[in-house]
Amino acid sequence: MESTVSARLDEPASDAASPMGPYDEMRAPLGEVRPHYAALQARLSTLSAAELADRQKTQERFFLLQGITFTVYGAESSTERIIPTDILPRIIPAAEWSRIEAGLTQRLRALNMFLADIYSEQQILMDGVVPRELVMQAPSYRREMQNLYVPHNAYANVCGSDLIRQENGEFAVLEDNLRVPSGVSYMLANREASKRVFPGTFRAAGVRAIDRYPDLLLTTLKSMAADWRPNPQVVVLTPGVYNSAYYEHAYLARLMGVPLVEGRDLVVHDNMVYMRTTTGLRRIDVIYRRVDDDFIDPLTFRRDSSLGAAGLFNAYRAGNVVICNAPGTGVADDKAVYAYVPEIIRYYLGEDAILPNIETYLCREPAQLSHVLANLDKLVVKAVGASGGYGMLVGPHSTKAQRDAFADALRADPSNYIAQPTIQLSTAPCLIDGAVEPRHVDLRPFILSGEKIVVTPGALTRVALKKGSLVVNSSQGGGSKDTWVLSDGKGDRS
Amino acid sequence: MMLARVADSLYWIGRYVERAEHMCRLSDVMLNATLDRSEAATQVARIALAAVGDPDAAKAGNPYEAAQALTLDRDDAGSIYSSIARARENARQVRDQITTETWERLNLIYLRMSSPDAVKAFEGGSQVFLHDTIADLHLFKGAGDATMSHGEGWSFLLLGVYLERAQLIGALLEVVFGEGRQRRPIRDHFALTNVLRMGCALEPYLRVYTAEMQPRYILQFLMLDEDFPRSMRFCTQQIEQHLAAIIRHAGLAGRVGPDRLAGRLRARLQYADIDELETQGASAFLKTVLDECAAIHRSLYDAFVAYPLEDRLPA
Repeated sequence: MESTVSARLDEPASDAASPMGPYDEMRAPLGEVRPHYAALQARLSTLSAAELADRQKTQERFFLLQGITFTVYGAESSTERIIPTDILPRIIPAAEWSRIEAGLTQRLRALNMFLADIYSEQQILMDGVVPRELVMQAPSYRREMQNLYVPHNAYANVCGSDLIRQENGEFAVLEDNLRVPSGVSYMLANREASKRVFPGTFRAAGVRAIDRYPDLLLTTLKSMAADWRPNPQVVVLTPGVYNSAYYEHAYLARLMGVPLVEGRDLVVHDNMVYMRTTTGLRRIDVIYRRVDDDFIDPLTFRRDSSLGAAGLFNAYRAGNVVICNAPGTGVADDKAVYAYVPEIIRYYLGEDAILPNIETYLCREPAQLSHVLANLDKLVVKAVGASGGYGMLVGPHSTKAQRDAFADALRADPSNYIAQPTIQLSTAPCLIDGAVEPRHVDLRPFILSGEKIVVTPGALTRVALKKGSLVVNSSQGGGSKDTWVLSDGKGDRS
Repeated sequence: MMLARVADSLYWIGRYVERAEHMCRLSDVMLNATLDRSEAATQVARIALAAVGDPDAAKAGNPYEAAQALTLDRDDAGSIYSSIARARENARQVRDQITTETWERLNLIYLRMSSPDAVKAFEGGSQVFLHDTIADLHLFKGAGDATMSHGEGWSFLLLGVYLERAQLIGALLEVVFGEGRQRRPIRDHFALTNVLRMGCALEPYLRVYTAEMQPRYILQFLMLDEDFPRSMRFCTQQIEQHLAAIIRHAGLAGRVGPDRLAGRLRARLQYADIDELETQGASAFLKTVLDECAAIHRSLYDAFVAYPLEDRLPA
């Protein structure tokens, strides 16, 4: 799965950098087990190391058989591996979740309004709340989207935000993913697996169900075309079997019961999009695309792409097909725009952000730039346009030469950089070689927006399986685990 | 309604799975037969290798090595490994179209074939290895039969299975009964028994013709039997049926070519006369049948997969 992890380091920073130490999901500071982990802890104490290892093996076999693998590209050949998965669930109590849910709903509502605004009247830029050049010069801004009608103003139909729990126990948003977020299939697969591994504990804990996700996704996608087509034909567009998230594309298509198409299956004629079937051409109304903006239409975007269909964007402009997520949503998860999200929420909704941002220094502001330059050894510096850990300086782990090089780059092109403090992710218990040990985790919930905004009561918890590591990327020893959101006993709402 | 690309992949899953199973069986029979050090045993090895299309008769001298290469050689597009890998690759591309139960069976076979331990497992017990693979391929077909909808996609998959099977059995019969390579007809009881084994036909044959091994009966059974699922006639019946089902789903009745070809081929085998076949020689007849199988494959593509777009654009 593609993932972008920013300020997470290989080693915990020194105590000076984090006086409180990371937040422990299972144990309170004095070592007692938090109430929502009690049932799991009780179960664990009855299992031997061998039994636990056995369960771990069962789960890995389940993943392998299902083909839940990602492709590791080597120099000569590529191999398939399973995503490392941990059998111990990460547990979130009902009260904490309702805050997360409210915060994410608020955030996505505001971001959709922001996108609708900047792709039409640009009131927020006129009012000077977000600097105009920040938006207009962002590489992810698509002028082709200007003045284009998007039903319900739902630009980011599928959003996966990365949350982290800070040292003080408060969740904060590290990053919004509004383009082509992935990982939801791992959320669902982890759930299937953990039901097999801890059936009793699962039942007793009162975990909220997440298996309606495919159904809710389909409803969301259909709501984007329902006004003009009574029973819209939805498809999932994948770059193909060699994409690292291909398993997820096929999985979602299968569970929604819609065709999984590739660019070569599509034909655009008279501004209508069709797919080639055995019975001839069949019209498509909604495309849930898992292909980046740049590649969806060689006539409008990158000419060398064969992953989309020529003429697709014109069909979209003509209102004959809906592309989900809308092209150009990336401008709202841009790293520099990120710093303004609390302002954006206040501007459109008149509310304070429920979920805080991580403190961010914009190097384009001279005062902040000098602060960053003075503290390069403590901060994480990121290039605005880059993702996936590229173009990044991790202060506490850098050499003097690296810092000097970054300082030069910062002075030369300050608006291309932001900086954040080094962050300690919270830890959750994981099974490591038969023993239960704490490892750092983050949290990626999934939010759907169409006619309504729906937050699925669950998430992908990514784990840094290497001891001390803060890197949760699957490419760097990261794994995932199931996330149990506990019910408040008032019945399920979703 | 299904994507043309998906239909294509399902069809090829069927073909590759059938091919892999046939190759496993030929290797297994060859290894088993050559436990005897007789001239007849070498003849069986020669037949098996010729039937998989390997012209190098010298390999029959070392059947174990030949079988291992045939099973595990990753560079040989004709090996069992390659067939399994391609079937699985096609299945991965249409993962949304086949049930989890079906996928798991095929994935399991692939994981065993591609594991670093595959060579060791083959060396530790080649016949067990081949036997297990055949059994798992049967499980794959059974899981598909029991869990997949028997609609258009299923018909494309089985069309692949039966077209491939007709051609593979045809190739085997060509080796045994064709005039080209084999001047003298095979009379040896041991060799004939093993020919039946290669077609997975020994037990069903015995029930019809008893233990009397007659080349004429064997030809009749493998080519013209109505009920035996590996006879060429049975295959053509299935091809015709599944094509008819696809055309029904597609609402293309009366517009396409493959059904006409399939009907003609089925009739050719249904009304064939074994005496005529014997006097005229089986070669010419086999060639016609195999050519028509190839023609059905081509017209299938023209009708459902690679049709010209101009014909199908909305007015």
